[in-house]
Amino acid sequence: MARYGMALDYKNCINCKACEVACKEENGVLLGADKHRIWVGANAPSGEWPHLDIVSSTFMPSQCQHCEDAPCEEVCPTHATYYDENHVVRVNSDKCILCSYCMNACPYDARYVDDRTVTVDKCTFCSDTRLARGETTTACQNTCPTKVRTFGDLDDPESEISILLKTRDHFSLKSHLGTHPKLYYLT
Amino acid sequence: METKKFMGFLPVNAISIKDLFAFEKSFVNLLAIAVTVVFLVMFVVGVGNYLLHGHHVFNVTREHPWGLLIATYVFFVVSSTGLCIVGSLGDVFKFEALNYQLFSKRAIFGSIVTILAGFAVIAFEIGHPVRMMIYNVVSPGLTSAIWWMGTLYGLYLTFMIIEFIFLLRHEMRRAQVFGFIGLAVGLAAHSNLGSVFGFLNARPISNGVYYPTYFILTAFITGIFIAFIMMGFRYKLDFPPEIKKMLTGLAKIQGFLLGAFLFFAGWKMLTDVYGGMPGRADVAVHIFHSWTFWAEIVLAILIPGLVILLGQAKSHVLMFYASLIGMVGVFFMRYNLVHDTQLKPLQMMKTTRYQLPPQWVEYVPSTTEILISLGGLGLAFVMYYIGTRLFDLDESVTEEAPER
Repeated sequence: MARYGMALDYKNCINCKACEVACKEENGVLLGADKHRIWVGANAPSGEWPHLDIVSSTFMPSQCQHCEDAPCEEVCPTHATYYDENHVVRVNSDKCILCSYCMNACPYDARYVDDRTVTVDKCTFCSDTRLARGETTTACQNTCPTKVRTFGDLDDPESEISILLKTRDHFSLKSHLGTHPKLYYLT
Repeated sequence: METKKFMGFLPVNAISIKDLFAFEKSFVNLLAIAVTVVFLVMFVVGVGNYLLHGHHVFNVTREHPWGLLIATYVFFVVSSTGLCIVGSLGDVFKFEALNYQLFSKRAIFGSIVTILAGFAVIAFEIGHPVRMMIYNVVSPGLTSAIWWMGTLYGLYLTFMIIEFIFLLRHEMRRAQVFGFIGLAVGLAAHSNLGSVFGFLNARPISNGVYYPTYFILTAFITGIFIAFIMMGFRYKLDFPPEIKKMLTGLAKIQGFLLGAFLFFAGWKMLTDVYGGMPGRADVAVHIFHSWTFWAEIVLAILIPGLVILLGQAKSHVLMFYASLIGMVGVFFMRYNLVHDTQLKPLQMMKTTRYQLPPQWVEYVPSTTEILISLGGLGLAFVMYYIGTRLFDLDESVTEEAPER
């Protein structure tokens, strides 16, 4: 049993989209499906030349935040959304009735309708693919050339992610909502 | 023999299909039939289109997953709860001095019809309705407002049917008991529907106690609008004195409720705008500038309110027309509720360089969504019409028949 989370050293991101490609390949996300399981936001530099704010020009990789108190899990009428043994928020497509309440309730717009199963889907930290095969990395982390992503067990004090979170400043998205995301942005 | 036994248990009129077409061929009747048939055809076409192409024929998106069909479902179930509340004035609370019992049976039948129409519409919005019926039972999500709403509405429908049967059999004491239980369950279901929106912490514009309480108030308002419409058609706007007395009473209640609703809506907007909370204030300002918001206020509150005020609650014929207008306003009320909740884009990090992120989520219902929604109205009309032929929905006597 683990409590998986991910740290994102987002300032290292070069927007190569290798993570999106690897995710699609690994998890069978349909080709052409834009910003489905994971995505990278690109912010243009603010200000006017020559006074451009270079720092504002960032890439922000994001995905399901795997909240500790996930609104999507609370609102699901059939328990199709559930926490697995590793505290990963998962969707059982056999139980999903496509009421779309979770899509409305997720503060991070992390859910979408999967045209393969006609149910709601999202990032699963590769739980049903790589982790199920005994691997310890997600596809997006494994392929990232600039090591933006660090995936691991938050309950293991010796894990790389635990050490990173102890030694680097970080923030979470919309933390004021009390959802306790397990995606951490390193600053 | 069996039919006779059944008709002894449940007093129904022995009618044939042919009798359904035996009606006065007046212009209004023919128009009503034409509209109903067109709506039913729309329903068939809309459902056919949905069955062929799935959710892709709806204009719902990832950013705006709930569309017109959800609004129409809410419209119907609010109508049902409203009719249940108005019906219970007579047969549960026994306000007989104002003749409210004259409308009870018709109201309870109307509440059954409208909720069935609502279920028919939502069945095509829910992606897997059969799976829903199975997993709602075997894997209930007790923290989900949708689960409670759906389950309680199922129970509510059951109690309404039982109450209606007792009303038909003139077993008023039993009808009162089941009417009271049905009302309590209906109010619980309906406020749970409000909480479906009120629990969303991702949507500050909807989050909070407003919707669960406002739903009950607006249900009552909707019920009275429909009472005027039903009685208007029943008596062809030539109301007998006992019905006039009842309608005056209902109009007075309506005046009070509309005033209360104006307070609700006014203070909701004012606290939203001047509260200054990000994600709520900006959305409220945006809503304030939308024509659908003003359609709701003018059609559902101001016009009927003025008719009641100026006519001192006694201009029954005008109130009939004002109620028709009011129901259009109520529709906008439901549409606004659903659409406004989803106006604000949630995840601004899906940005693309040198392109401004969308400030508001846009939504326009698709043709299929409109077809199915109007079709739901057609279903309600036809079920109600058959009911008027099959059952004696008029109530004239107040004395209780002996218990069988």
